[in-house]
Amino acid sequence: MHPNETILNDYADDLLDPVERAGVDQHMAACAACRQTVEDLREILGAASELELREPPVRAWSRLERAIKMEPRLESGARGFPLDGARGRQPGGSGGARLKGSRSMWIAGLAAAAVLVLATAVGVRYLPANRTDATPAAASAPGGAAQSGAAQSIETELRQAEAHYENAIKGLEAIASSEQSELDPRTAATLQKNLAVIDQAISESRAAVRSQPASEPAQQSLIDGFKTKIGLLQDTVALINEMRKGNEAGAARIASGLKQKGT
Amino acid sequence: MDLVARCQAGDVEAFETLYRQHSARIYTLACRMAGSAEDGEDLLQEIFLQAYRKVGSFKGQSALGTWLYRLALNHCLDYVRSRQAKMNKLTDTIDAETSFEPAARRETPIARLDLERAMERLPEGCREAFVLHDVEGFDHKEVAELLGIAEGTSKSQVFKARLKLRAYLTKR
Repeated sequence: MHPNETILNDYADDLLDPVERAGVDQHMAACAACRQTVEDLREILGAASELELREPPVRAWSRLERAIKMEPRLESGARGFPLDGARGRQPGGSGGARLKGSRSMWIAGLAAAAVLVLATAVGVRYLPANRTDATPAAASAPGGAAQSGAAQSIETELRQAEAHYENAIKGLEAIASSEQSELDPRTAATLQKNLAVIDQAISESRAAVRSQPASEPAQQSLIDGFKTKIGLLQDTVALINEMRKGNEAGAARIASGLKQKGT
Repeated sequence: MDLVARCQAGDVEAFETLYRQHSARIYTLACRMAGSAEDGEDLLQEIFLQAYRKVGSFKGQSALGTWLYRLALNHCLDYVRSRQAKMNKLTDTIDAETSFEPAARRETPIARLDLERAMERLPEGCREAFVLHDVEGFDHKEVAELLGIAEGTSKSQVFKARLKLRAYLTKR
């Protein structure tokens, strides 16, 4: 008889006492299946313990920085933190610096608003699954009627999500296009090319959703397309902000990430 | 002024230094606990924002990195509990995919990227137990306390996760 799963697992983790261990050793000497199971369990354990750390996307700090700067205690101005982070630098005189700070605030504010809209849209995205589980009336309704109602509801919610994403994209596009002169021509060209690829994918996904409104892969693909586009536009805004701050290293990191998007 | 004091004083540059030092570890934990890079990025954002708000209450009883890791772990656990409550997907049985039978042999060792992807496919419940035990190195008693489950359940969830991973990695 094979050892049970707990014993085999504890054996792989070296948690058995000597007597139990000897018993499993004896069984395994004649059982290739258990030997292989233990070997596989240990290989997975070994590989899991050697996994490497993952670097967050370059945009993550920019997003966080924007959120931090919108925190109430900083908005109070009690500590006087400069909103663009360019402490002590006053390019273009005090009037210019004030204007620059105010534009950065505007960019940060719009981008943060877009993030909020995105969060709402993500919330909407999870609604259909929850609603299906939590609506006994729908579950007990005659099959066809319930399914048709659920499909209509999913379609409505998807449309709402689409509208939220499109609003967020519109806001970010306005920032990116009005500030695009800040970008060097090659980066701007890469950005346009990647946006075109993403727009094409969104357009195809939208067509798939229109022809099969209940298809989860089609819905997911459309949402993913929106999120990719928002991510790219957020990176663009972050890049513009880094260039304004004169942070060449930060800008280079983001620009290198931009080149990989949409491919 | 040291980094802690500067962070506590609200210095954003100091907080960026703290972020650069610890973001990879926190992001990695968040991605693995949540099961996706997308959710991991959102969690990373929430964790550091919470750290920014709470760093003033840090008393220096442990290293700042340890304090941050605990905060991150608690946040990830809250996220996982809330998602499990919503989705009710915690399963206690070993389904057909996690066969106790020997799997076909792989010819090459497990590649890290393959394992990361396979971990994302693990069901709620067993993924968190696996990440905490096999990746983060907590023992079953600690995993049980963190997840609010029995120690035996932690063991069986980790075992289930390993068998599923074996199946996923063999089917490549």
